[in-house]
Amino acid sequence: MALENETIIKLENLTKRYGYGDAASFALKDFDLTVKRGEFIMIMGPSGCGKTTLLNIIGLLDTPTSGNFLLNDESASRISARRQARLRSKKIGFIFQNFNLIPDLPIIENVALPLVYSGYHKTRRLIRASEVLARFNLKEKEYYMPFQLSGGQQQRAAIARAIVAGPEIILADEPTGNLDSHSSQLVMEELKRIHSEGNTIIMVTHNQSLTQYATRVINMLDGTIDTDLKTVKDSDLPVPVSARKKKAKIKKKTKKKRSKK
Amino acid sequence: MALLLRAHYELAKSSLRQNRTRSYLTCLGIAIGVASIILILSLMGSISSLISSQVSQIGSDLIVVRPSSTKNAVDSVVDELTSSTQYLKSNLTMKDVAQIEKLENVTAVAPLAVSVNSLQGDDFVPSATVVGTNPNFLKIQNLTLKSGTFLRSDAKTNTAVIGSKLANSLYGTNEPIGKSLTLLGERFIIVGVLSEVDDPINFNNIDLDSALFVSANVLNTIDNSLQIQQINIRATNTDKIEETVDTIRENLIAAKSGDTNFAVLHGDSITHPAGTLFSIISGILSIVAGISLIVGGIGVMNIMLVSVSERTHEIGVRKAVGASFGNIFLQFLFESLILTLTGGTFGLILGYTLAFFISLITPFAPFISWEIFAVAFGTSLATGTIFGLYPAIKAARKNPISALKFWG
Repeated sequence: MALENETIIKLENLTKRYGYGDAASFALKDFDLTVKRGEFIMIMGPSGCGKTTLLNIIGLLDTPTSGNFLLNDESASRISARRQARLRSKKIGFIFQNFNLIPDLPIIENVALPLVYSGYHKTRRLIRASEVLARFNLKEKEYYMPFQLSGGQQQRAAIARAIVAGPEIILADEPTGNLDSHSSQLVMEELKRIHSEGNTIIMVTHNQSLTQYATRVINMLDGTIDTDLKTVKDSDLPVPVSARKKKAKIKKKTKKKRSKK
Repeated sequence: MALLLRAHYELAKSSLRQNRTRSYLTCLGIAIGVASIILILSLMGSISSLISSQVSQIGSDLIVVRPSSTKNAVDSVVDELTSSTQYLKSNLTMKDVAQIEKLENVTAVAPLAVSVNSLQGDDFVPSATVVGTNPNFLKIQNLTLKSGTFLRSDAKTNTAVIGSKLANSLYGTNEPIGKSLTLLGERFIIVGVLSEVDDPINFNNIDLDSALFVSANVLNTIDNSLQIQQINIRATNTDKIEETVDTIRENLIAAKSGDTNFAVLHGDSITHPAGTLFSIISGILSIVAGISLIVGGIGVMNIMLVSVSERTHEIGVRKAVGASFGNIFLQFLFESLILTLTGGTFGLILGYTLAFFISLITPFAPFISWEIFAVAFGTSLATGTIFGLYPAIKAARKNPISALKFWG
């Protein structure tokens, strides 16, 4: 299977129920979804349709009532809390609407936070965080406290935190919800750049105009998929940087073979 | 794993720094608890070592015979603590003293028949320690006289020698030679005053400065219930001391028709009963001091619970970026451990500072031993673990989704 078509997330009959009997309400109902590596999915829909619940389940912060969740072909919803935490630290990056930076830690330590739980030495953590912050033009603000930064800068720091450990999936819950249009655009450009490097992004938003960045737009209604529209073919999805060299090699080989023929 | 532990330690340290005043106040609670334990242990240690050093000063040729029971050490110590009738249980007699005097390798023998009586001199003293002994006592104890003479075996009248503090209480002077006092209806003439020794705690369990010394034989004639609590013996040859101890024991058993309720002791074991007594007292006092440590521990738990509650959102964020139950648990447990261990260190310093100041006004020098350090470290560690456990579990069990929604 070529890397660009690899399935990274597979949800089968996923149901999340709150309450029992007559009082039961469903945040997700028999939800099926397959996500390929390199997709940039935008999930839209009215409030309470289960967007955030879906994101929390994919992010292993929540467990489904029933159904299957496969992450890289391995069941992820029924594993121990400890393994879930390890998967969260290594494979998943979260971006929140309200940034969720720890107010008492300087930006650089906020960004380095996921690395604490992946077992990095402090110096290496800070070096890595500093590198990522430099990519987001926040190098000179490394030792600022979160409150000293503007909303847009805080969100960019939060994105830096989400990608610092090199996750496979980035989950963003209305990342531009608290930002003005200019900052929103900057943040979206960052996400676009991250996506173009081959990362898989699943983003929840209310803002219709942002769908231009997506490769797939899903509209949800009452815990199920209402519409699912792919704007980019699977074969045209970006490939992870690490996989690009392989791909280039394969291309070279096929070219050589062709020229020989 | 080591890296992760270090990371937790750093995290805990930085979060404690954010609340400096609160952290120091919490430490103070632990410090006071640990300091009181250290102070008690140090005092008790110095008292025990004081007694031991007295024995070593007195010399390795000292042998002591004491009545003993077949009960275990703790029971007999409790008896000593609780019953004044312990004196009556003594099975040593003046015959035994005479018996020992006859043995080889024995230089001097002195009985100690201790009782508490009222004395009438110029003033009245309702309760004073009266020691019935013989002239050898002075030699065995290496005591010196400030003035006058000690008891003499050839004395024609009832004579007494007095400790300087008691002399002051009875006569308002420490030169009362020639004055008389009434003990149990009998008149005694003061013939000598002991030099101050200022050793209120010693292996004889007598404060020599506040005691009256009379002849045991005389005392025996006026007080029929009098018994001998201790016989002090000085051996001639130190090398043969073990043999001498055995000879004394065998002779006494034979003289008492098989009664073995006495102990013949030499060297360190002379102070052993006192040592056991003090270790029990220090144990009990330490438990009392431990209560203040519990109060400090509750303070730690309280602050940790406040901290967990304040940082609920932070816990949510940490969990979202990959912290497991164990990570959060250890982070908070480390915080309480740092609090208690820092408190323990302060307590150790505070305790020894107090012990030092006490040593300025008492003969008890601060007693430093690794056991005391271990107790300080151990109790701080235990307090941190016990009282940090619940807040740490509470923090680690927080649901990440609701924690993320929490804004304290």
